[in-house]
Amino acid sequence: MSYSLNEVEATAKRAARGAGYSWGLSEEAGKATRWLCAHGLDGVGALCVLLEQGLADDLLPNAPQDLSSNRNSQRKICPLLAGAALSDFSAQRELPVSMQKLAVPMLILPFVASVARRLRLCLVVNCGDAVFSTDGVRLRAAGVLPEKAGEVTITAGDITGDETAICTRASPSAESWDLLNSFARRTYAPATEESRLRGAGAGLSDND
Amino acid sequence: MSAMTRHIERREPATVMRLGRLGSLHQCRLSFMRVLTRRMAREKWTFSCNAFEISEEGVGHAVYTAQGPERVYSLVAFAHDLPPEKRSDRVIAEAWDATFALFDGVPARQDIERLSRNVPLQEAGRVQETELSLSRANRSVRLWKHVVDRLACGQQPDPEQIASVGYLMRTTAVYGSGKFGAADRELIADREELQAPFQVEMLSVYLTRCFVRDLVEYMARIQGGEQAVRLEPQIARKLGIGNSTGLGMAPFIVNHPILFNNWIMAREEALAAVRSVETATGEQIVLFRELFERSRHSVMAWHSEHPVQIRKLHDLKRDIALVSEYLEQNSLETAFPWDQLIRWTSEELSEEGQELIVSLVLEPYGDLVDGYAACMADSNSEAFVIDGSMTVAELRTLIQSNFGWALELDWSAAENCARAWYVSEEKLEPRLGERFEEPIADYEQPLAPARDAAIAYADLREWDDKCLVAEFLLQKPEHRHTVRRARMILDAPYGEIRDNTISASVLPIDMLRAKLSFFGATHFDPRSDRWVRICMYAGAPYPEELSEDNADLWVYPEVPQ
Repeated sequence: MSYSLNEVEATAKRAARGAGYSWGLSEEAGKATRWLCAHGLDGVGALCVLLEQGLADDLLPNAPQDLSSNRNSQRKICPLLAGAALSDFSAQRELPVSMQKLAVPMLILPFVASVARRLRLCLVVNCGDAVFSTDGVRLRAAGVLPEKAGEVTITAGDITGDETAICTRASPSAESWDLLNSFARRTYAPATEESRLRGAGAGLSDND
Repeated sequence: MSAMTRHIERREPATVMRLGRLGSLHQCRLSFMRVLTRRMAREKWTFSCNAFEISEEGVGHAVYTAQGPERVYSLVAFAHDLPPEKRSDRVIAEAWDATFALFDGVPARQDIERLSRNVPLQEAGRVQETELSLSRANRSVRLWKHVVDRLACGQQPDPEQIASVGYLMRTTAVYGSGKFGAADRELIADREELQAPFQVEMLSVYLTRCFVRDLVEYMARIQGGEQAVRLEPQIARKLGIGNSTGLGMAPFIVNHPILFNNWIMAREEALAAVRSVETATGEQIVLFRELFERSRHSVMAWHSEHPVQIRKLHDLKRDIALVSEYLEQNSLETAFPWDQLIRWTSEELSEEGQELIVSLVLEPYGDLVDGYAACMADSNSEAFVIDGSMTVAELRTLIQSNFGWALELDWSAAENCARAWYVSEEKLEPRLGERFEEPIADYEQPLAPARDAAIAYADLREWDDKCLVAEFLLQKPEHRHTVRRARMILDAPYGEIRDNTISASVLPIDMLRAKLSFFGATHFDPRSDRWVRICMYAGAPYPEELSEDNADLWVYPEVPQ
């Protein structure tokens, strides 16, 4: 089934919130997932892999104080927090930037793209055998990103590789869409008769 | 426009963005329904009914097509036989009298077949990129029966009954922008005819009104056969489409601060431009006086049983009497007549009355006002990005400028945080609950920006002025949404409601009315503190009557001679 990108963004935001992220980072998760889907990648699947790792419960020790010195830590860095920091520090930090043990590296791409747009640069993301480059609008890909975690280096460079498709719809697998929704569901209050009447202020007849 | 000297500033956000005032807004030239009807008339859109396959039981489908200069849009309408016990305006309903989709183009047979399996299910069905909106409507049981019975026996309906209800059907949700699989707003936002906000939804409702008129005449013909008559055009024109709106709409204006800013800003800019007019022409004065009389007529026909609205209507009627006196004593031929009038209203009238006059003074100045409609959409997607190089001192200043009033409030006092907004598992309906009486706090939605700003501000006390916001957010990701808003509002002074959206006394209907007034709705009739019925397109010409002569001022009823 195909979903609109607004559905993807709204569901991803709720799912991240349901998995324990702050509202602001959940908004980032929504936008990032949407961006990946709009560039032909499986953003929904990637977010599911991240949310299942449960990093949100213990986020502050994962804070990438210095993105390049995580070598000694056993902990994975959350790409939402790292991506947000990459974006927030974009005017300060010099390239290249390296991140060790970055969980679900695909999720860093939308943040890299946002920085590329603002700095009017082309940025290249290297991770294992994969090379992704973006000027913020287009995304070119060569190789496959590791699913769960990897070492990522971001440098300024040229846009190379095959351009990914620009998509106006997302077609996640039924399995990952259901999983995303099950995270999202954690943000919904169980319906009670009381809330049905009080919470929405109903009670008058509509047969008039 | 630029040649004119603008010596009057916009009204202050601190004045405009209070809930009491937002809950007193009236439609104006910039309302989205009027933007649409003016455009369709100017561009000479043509309309046709391409299918009307409805059974004698009133079940089937119809297709209404609107052809603009470049593109064509079609309303696909499904009529159903709904038992009364299933008729509910609530979002939790599962069946309706009629259901609709606005199709991008002209639907083929197989499109209609696909839609017939999905549109009647509404939220439980799926639509796709060819569909721009999804909606449903219920009959006004009383008026529907009266009109069918009268027309069936060759008589016209009783004008008083028409006036007391105002519509044959009311929509209970119009979903656009990617909901349930429909096309995203982003996909169509660069089409000139859809650039202004909610044009898809407004077009859908405009065509729905035409379908409803045709359906009621058809049902009368089934019932009465040869002796049945059609609605007389001047009676049909009085019928609008009702709308029943609940809490689902309230979070919208909080969740879209830049978009909401652009609506308010357009109206405030337009007001400042009109107040800066030094002399009004005789023609402009005559038009203003005429429309004042016509809106007085509209207010007299505005009924509500809700105590809050009864009081507001009482005040509004008193205000109208005061304005009448003012207009008898003032010729409006003096210097800066509109500024003078607005200054007088702000001292003498209730907020209902003040905002009515604000809307009315814009009327004679289409040339100054209508262009602002092009500024009402939100196309700045980069506003989402936080500027991490901002300093903590700058962030503090931003929060103070928007939420100064909220920083001193005791947010732990029960009356200041009595409510919590949450989303119910049931059809994902937004609701407002009692924080201290229901188990909802864990599910709270971020719809109290003032409270959240106050908490962030308190946390900022421990941070050095020169620290970067990027550093603050790395340690305090829980404030990320608040910092994002503060940054967005830098360029959007009317983006934040300057009131407590979770206080014990908050009236969500104020938030609903603020949004609905920009649609162009009239006759707000709150049914409780959290849902409201309104009327849309009452008085508007039907597609076959639409011309540049009648495309704009239809919202003001003609005063009977």
